[in-house]
Amino acid sequence: MSLIENHKRFVDGFTKFLGAENILESKIPRERRVFITIKREKLRDAVKYLMDHEGFNHITTITGLDAGETLDVLYHLTKKDLSLTLRVKAPMDDPAVDSISDLMNGAFMYELEVHDLIGVVPRGHPNLKRLILPEDWPEGVHPLLKKWSLDKIKEEINGKEG
Amino acid sequence: MGPQHPALKEPANFTFKVEGELVIDVEPRIGYNHRGIEKAMESRTYIQNLYIAERVCGICSNAHQTCYTQCVEDVLNMEIPERAKYIRVLVAELERIHSHYLWLGVAAHEIGFDTLFYYIWRDREVVMDLLEEISGNRVNYAIPTIGGVRRDVQKDKIPEYLKMLDALGERIKFFKNICATEKTVLARADGVGFLSKEDAIRLSAVGPNLRASGVASDIRADSPYLVYDEIPWKVISYDGGDVLANVLVRVDETAESVKICKHCLEHLPDGPIRVKFSPMGKVPEGEAVSLVEAPRGELVHYIQSRGGDKPYRYKIRAPTFGNIPSVCEKLKGGYIADIPIVLAGIDPCFSCTDRMVFVDERKGKSWEMTGELLRRYGIEWYK
Repeated sequence: MSLIENHKRFVDGFTKFLGAENILESKIPRERRVFITIKREKLRDAVKYLMDHEGFNHITTITGLDAGETLDVLYHLTKKDLSLTLRVKAPMDDPAVDSISDLMNGAFMYELEVHDLIGVVPRGHPNLKRLILPEDWPEGVHPLLKKWSLDKIKEEINGKEG
Repeated sequence: MGPQHPALKEPANFTFKVEGELVIDVEPRIGYNHRGIEKAMESRTYIQNLYIAERVCGICSNAHQTCYTQCVEDVLNMEIPERAKYIRVLVAELERIHSHYLWLGVAAHEIGFDTLFYYIWRDREVVMDLLEEISGNRVNYAIPTIGGVRRDVQKDKIPEYLKMLDALGERIKFFKNICATEKTVLARADGVGFLSKEDAIRLSAVGPNLRASGVASDIRADSPYLVYDEIPWKVISYDGGDVLANVLVRVDETAESVKICKHCLEHLPDGPIRVKFSPMGKVPEGEAVSLVEAPRGELVHYIQSRGGDKPYRYKIRAPTFGNIPSVCEKLKGGYIADIPIVLAGIDPCFSCTDRMVFVDERKGKSWEMTGELLRRYGIEWYK
């Protein structure tokens, strides 16, 4: 069976498990790449299923993406011959997602990273603290959000000191 | 000197909780070296980003540039010429050889075996010369470009390159022998900094660090890119889980890389070395994930393009970041004196942490040590 057919079967199985109403989008752009967008509430169920039934045990990283109206959180899970990007969308005014660190222990640093840099709040993270930004960095300034340009960040910091 | 002092090797901070000589808990703190590369790339054109991507890392610059070009080519749906693929592999493997040689030298230095360090770094010059011959540069080779490679390999030079590779292959056998039998190495590496296979998988370790714990996982084999599926080579893994296994994985990998380089030079297909990237530098809407096995392990770049000449979102995760949780696990239960070599064991890209804080659980006191002081402490402790 070709890899693409394999991926299709995987997406079908995943859709069946999670329920088609919880899958917002799925695409297979090429061999070894699958992108699936799911409802935010279903993240933990999805990760559990992927670990238990599909053999995904490696988290490559988590990407935060300022999509304008939503803050997208992309979980890059990898296994042999497949790199899956699982996406959830959180509204900008409530950028929280469930933490998956207890399921995938390797995720705890990545959750801290997206928390610092783009403001994703991993609900239930075991030790939510600053990892990359300095301790005296102003609250709520997440540099990777599109609204924070370098000048604006400088203004915010200097304004605070002044 | 604070953690950001430019004269220091790359900085990071680990807080250790200790009981006497034993480490019982570790808390990492990074970010001292965060340069905001992702934000910088999002505000620059695809052509400019070619140069930024290369400067993410000074040692594995080519891995980042390869990953970047692959990512952009994926969105462009661009197929690059066969010859370009072979040249990319050639340079990638030369880089792995130089990086592993460099690491072996550093590891020897960390355990106070400076003779070995000088031997290894002398031989490393051969691969540096090769890289300079092929690319024109010693550090940032600037070989991959969007659509192929920048510079061709000259046909009449190939026999000379092969001779140099043979020399490297011979020397690595000698180093393998030393690393596997020399008492100094064994005393400091055998059984030190253990990471079980289960923990390595659980903590999503990557690269040689993962393969030293008995998991034969390598992006070049698991998710082949360029022409890695056409070249005969094998994934190296050892079951030891300790620093010694880390050494042996890298030594054997270097030997494999020499073979891959020779194969590339002997089977270099003819043809063009690049296809044209649009002169306006525009990329259509789309997204892509690009994976590369850098010398330190799995490297991932993610791109989202919304059209135009700049990426909308660019994400990079370098392998060292992926290895921090597992190295913290390795340090737990070990001696303070072993901290430098265990940390060096993952070949961290912010190597030689400049400052460490110790908290003695029983006595409730805390103190700081610099990386260099800690290295000396380790050597004295084992005398």
